[in-house]
Amino acid sequence: MVPAATVPRLLGAGVWPRPLRPHLLQSATPGRARPGGRTLASAATPAVSEPEDSIDVSDKILSQPLKHSDFFNVKELFSVRSLFDARVHLGHKAGCRHRFMEPYIFGSRLGQDIIDLEQTAAHLQLALNFMAHVAYRKGIILFVGRNRQFSHLIETTARNCGEYAHTRYFKGGLLTNAPLLLGPMVRLPDLIIFLHTLNNVFEPHVAVRDAAKMHIPTVGVVDTNCNPCLITYPIPGNDDSPPSIHLFCRLFQTTINRAKQKRRQMEALYRLQGPEGLGARGQGLAASPSLGGTHSPPEGE
Amino acid sequence: MARSRLETVGSVFSRTRDLIRAGVLNEKPLWFDIYNAFPPLREPVFRRPRLRYGKAKAAIQDILYPEDRIRAFVEKYIELQKLGETDEEKLFVETGKALLAAGVILRRVEARTQKEGGHVSWESEPTGVKPQTVLEKNQPLQEVPQDQHLETSEEQPKGLSPP
Repeated sequence: MVPAATVPRLLGAGVWPRPLRPHLLQSATPGRARPGGRTLASAATPAVSEPEDSIDVSDKILSQPLKHSDFFNVKELFSVRSLFDARVHLGHKAGCRHRFMEPYIFGSRLGQDIIDLEQTAAHLQLALNFMAHVAYRKGIILFVGRNRQFSHLIETTARNCGEYAHTRYFKGGLLTNAPLLLGPMVRLPDLIIFLHTLNNVFEPHVAVRDAAKMHIPTVGVVDTNCNPCLITYPIPGNDDSPPSIHLFCRLFQTTINRAKQKRRQMEALYRLQGPEGLGARGQGLAASPSLGGTHSPPEGE
Repeated sequence: MARSRLETVGSVFSRTRDLIRAGVLNEKPLWFDIYNAFPPLREPVFRRPRLRYGKAKAAIQDILYPEDRIRAFVEKYIELQKLGETDEEKLFVETGKALLAAGVILRRVEARTQKEGGHVSWESEPTGVKPQTVLEKNQPLQEVPQDQHLETSEEQPKGLSPP
């Protein structure tokens, strides 16, 4: 999307009904006896009272996913085989290699660097998980990529997620001088996803450094000629082949949509459960999308 | 929101955490808890890219397969063939005649014998020869194929048959 189009949405974004920060209130609320004598399935939850208080409900919604290692089950979305088939392992020639990408490179086949897909899979799982959690917490995500071949794809991906994209010329102070360029009281993105870390002259994209300046975490596909230092969750992989970028866009889109759907489910769940009092059933239901309600503890979804 | 725009000092997380601890930043950012729960494999600290000096080289190995030795032999053979080795040509002609008698079947047998010959030849070769070095060094290469030709004569038509 053109920056001008993002202005009204970003300006309006501050109006979202955000619950009060429950983390600072946790120390204040003492543990209370559960209503109806129901006890929680997992003893790991802190002593948070569970009346129909909206603050505690939202706290539960936010804190629960962090306890599972893979709450959104992002592992099932890809495999090393699927990465290989999408040509994610192909890097640039050995002469283009960036020094800091050496740990992620498996070897060099006749001068062309091959990226280690085992490491890529691990990094990709972390990155998708982080992305999903940010989307779950209603964070603003910005897709950035300066390769003109895929700019339309990136923009359509962002539109399908309901998030934002910026694949045009990145103006100097867009992040660092946002009140001047975009207007007062603009909410900056909570996560920036780079499909291409370099710009059109093969230099690091300005947004990488600016996001680090503005305390915005970044996820980025780093090729063998990129600098992965400042990117919070780098994904070593090919950023030049169409199949590779199509795979990444598909993965990101699926993850974000899944996370948002999960959020809607959890909110609906607690809204329904609210008058009855939250108990073990609430946690059991969190695992399954249906509202049938099982008493099984939530698995590592 | 208070920020420190020092991207070269620490990671985003360390700076935010310290600002919160100092009491400068009042609201915890959205991603803070997520990062706490699922940190990346490497903390995103800035590093200045330094050039390598002298003979220091990257620790990245070349990817080579056993088939590359066979390919190297074939390339060597074709190259030496152009130089005009007479012994090889004689054997070459004989195997060429045998090829005319039975084409496809012989090729399969040749492939098997070539593999066996390849195994034998690997033991005899002192060091692995990389395909890139074929064109550079001629003298050691001349010794090696002669050894192989003494052992197996069926390997030579393989030089003819590749498309």
